[in-house]
Amino acid sequence: MPQILSTKEANLFRQVIRDYEEKRYRAGLKAAEQILKRNPKHGDTMSMKALIMNAQGKTEEAFNLAKEALKVDFKSHICWHVYGILYRTNKNFEEAIKAYKFALKLEPESQQIQRDLAILQVQTRDYEGYVQSRFAMLKARPQLRQNWTALAIAYHLEGNLQEAERILTTYEKSVSAAPARTDFENSEALLYKNSIIAEQGETERALEHLEQECKKCLDRLAVMELRARYLAELGRKEEAATAYRALIDRNPDHPDYYKRLVEVLGLTAEDEAAQKAIFDEYSTKYPRSDAARRLPLDFLTGNEFRSAAKAYLALMFNKGVPSTFANLKHLYFDSYKKDTLPSLAEEYLQELKDSNTQASSDSSKGEGAALFFLAQHYNYYMSRDLSKALEYVEKAIELDPKSVDFQMTKARIFKHQGDIAKAAKAMDQARLLDTKDRYINTKAAKYQLRNNENEKALNTLGLFTRAETVGGPLGDLIDMQAMWFLTEDGEAWQRRGNVALALKRYHTVFNIFDIWQEDQFDFHSFSLRKGQIRAYMDMIRWEDKLREHPFYFRAALDAVNLYLSMYDKPEGANRANGTKGDNANGEDAAEKKKAAKKAKKEAQKAEREAAERAAKQNPNKAQKDKEEDVKKKDDDPNGVKLAETKDPLGDAMKFLEPLLQFSPKNIEGQIAGFEVYIRRKKYVLAAKCLKAAQALDQDYPKVQEQSATMRKMIGDVIESLPPKVQEVLKAELA
Amino acid sequence: MAEPQPPTIHEGATDDIETTTKPASAEDRKAAAALSNLDSSSAAENDTAQVDKAAATNALNSVSEKKAPVEAPAKSKVKVDAADVALLVDQLELTKARATELLKQHDGDAVKTIKAFLQPAF
Repeated sequence: MPQILSTKEANLFRQVIRDYEEKRYRAGLKAAEQILKRNPKHGDTMSMKALIMNAQGKTEEAFNLAKEALKVDFKSHICWHVYGILYRTNKNFEEAIKAYKFALKLEPESQQIQRDLAILQVQTRDYEGYVQSRFAMLKARPQLRQNWTALAIAYHLEGNLQEAERILTTYEKSVSAAPARTDFENSEALLYKNSIIAEQGETERALEHLEQECKKCLDRLAVMELRARYLAELGRKEEAATAYRALIDRNPDHPDYYKRLVEVLGLTAEDEAAQKAIFDEYSTKYPRSDAARRLPLDFLTGNEFRSAAKAYLALMFNKGVPSTFANLKHLYFDSYKKDTLPSLAEEYLQELKDSNTQASSDSSKGEGAALFFLAQHYNYYMSRDLSKALEYVEKAIELDPKSVDFQMTKARIFKHQGDIAKAAKAMDQARLLDTKDRYINTKAAKYQLRNNENEKALNTLGLFTRAETVGGPLGDLIDMQAMWFLTEDGEAWQRRGNVALALKRYHTVFNIFDIWQEDQFDFHSFSLRKGQIRAYMDMIRWEDKLREHPFYFRAALDAVNLYLSMYDKPEGANRANGTKGDNANGEDAAEKKKAAKKAKKEAQKAEREAAERAAKQNPNKAQKDKEEDVKKKDDDPNGVKLAETKDPLGDAMKFLEPLLQFSPKNIEGQIAGFEVYIRRKKYVLAAKCLKAAQALDQDYPKVQEQSATMRKMIGDVIESLPPKVQEVLKAELA
Repeated sequence: MAEPQPPTIHEGATDDIETTTKPASAEDRKAAAALSNLDSSSAAENDTAQVDKAAATNALNSVSEKKAPVEAPAKSKVKVDAADVALLVDQLELTKARATELLKQHDGDAVKTIKAFLQPAF
């Protein structure tokens, strides 16, 4: 039997809960112990104590205590709820859901438990369960709109669009008073319903609903865009054209509107003149619109292109727009345009010289801009001539030695020449021209990393990181999830032979994606409360394919390749250098070991110093911080444990699986997959990667090499495989 | 009429919320407080609550009607050999459930299943 608390202790128990909620862990713990002194077998208090301990990072003890609590009070929903929360914070969602369900059985009325369960279900994408939970929550509080919306969302996610729409309609019908015009939740819900109708493929009805119900929605832009889209889809071209013209009037720099307008007007690529007329109309109407002037360059050809490009370039050069080249380089796929643009820039320079006008005071305009354009042109991979590029950039620098842009391009040219050390130096010089510019600071640090100067790069970046972060600049970059840095830093460490730190960085990137996944948790309730459901649905769908992000791909591929080289050369983890494994670079193993040691020492020193600095700045806070930081402490800050792995291929799987799942069309991923699977003797999976790679690019050199490997391997081992696998492999790889 | 609560009752009221909402963040607690305010706001709103409840039961009924026959047509009758499941789990590194599902999709034929598995998914 559970012990009954006296009034005084019951109050104390409430105090414990409040302390926990407000994160006064020490006070909470004290109060809990006070209760337990008199009632050592009070399960609820034991559970709360466990919860607080868990929040303090003492996970194992917390679990033990929570289990104890369940033993003494098996029928307490609090104990089960706490048990579920412990599992949840330790990411064992399956067990957490079980515990919550049990707690709910004991206390079916608890909103809190029901909500925790629902959130976990949508987090784990158990849509069927989520529908049930949301139904229960709606039944408990049908007067709350968000409960209706939530159920609709649950159906929507489950794929039951009709039911989702019906739920929303049912709620709308049940409301007698018309909602206020400024009711944001109502406005969003209407548009959400509209999106559900459209998703069912009923464009006609969606348009009708939009025009009747959503006229007054607060997101005017969304209404206009949807209306234009529906009209276009329904083939009501004239109305659609009017709608798109209205949108252009709102924002004359949105390329998509122009594209759609041209489409609904039924103009084809041949109607150059007619298309051009539309853009001309808008460039006169909106002289400041860049899109109206630039977009015609995409479709114009021949002399028309030439004269339009000439006008555009002159305008941009006179203004001194630094992004001119970046805005035009996509045209280079057309070889005529690729040749015309630089000749126009030359022409511009010549004309400038002939007219002999006074050089403008701002050297980034006029001549400088044209020279800059040409330097970038000859530095671009489709039109590369590095000596010419250098010539132009030097001329530009002569004109304005203080221009960051010019210096930066010079550094880039050095990089393309293959002289990374020189490039890093030049980029740092560019940085010194404007030490307050974060962009060039970042760029300089990246070039330093490319030149394997990890420490120097960190110092460079340290100029912009928050000084008070524990762990110094590195700690801040990790906190801020600067993935580009972590990846580049890892690759640099890998080139320097420091496997441990390289792995550490790749794992950190991996963990950042985990964090993004977890970050959803808060939004399952937050978005509903705020009524931002359309954005919420977008987020859910984005989260489902989170790891197709190129940042993930790059770090994961690096990690897989590093693990492969570790597997191939187990004797010296510190000798695995580079993705190719055996491209010897001069240093020998001992030296690298020394370097790694030194780096480690320096990192530790930096950490100590940062901690001291922080302590000095805020002596009162230091004590408290220490207590809370126990939890945050990384027990392997330099990745030594990661590098000591006995099973590099097993560890690689963690990176490889999302790689293959979310970026199946990237041949590098399939190739890495093959290498891992063939070493793990998973021949069917290796064959799958090989077949995918072959489908992507039959002529890719590595693919041919791998198919030869595969054939040989299979020849050697086929007899040892199960007969059914033999049959398939023989048929598929013949 | 909604009388303002006497000050003496105040403590108890918050405690009520505390006991029903066990471990929550401070924000959740605020939300809970806001929700209970909603409940007790006005008579008109109570009316809509009534309407809603009726509507909810309606919605509930119509949903529970068509809940059952969503899945489970002929496919589940396919016999799957446990040895084939084990083979797929080992060779293709699938979960048991997924392996069974795939086998069922291919009439329990392991060779067919593996062949289909090998084809690029794009």
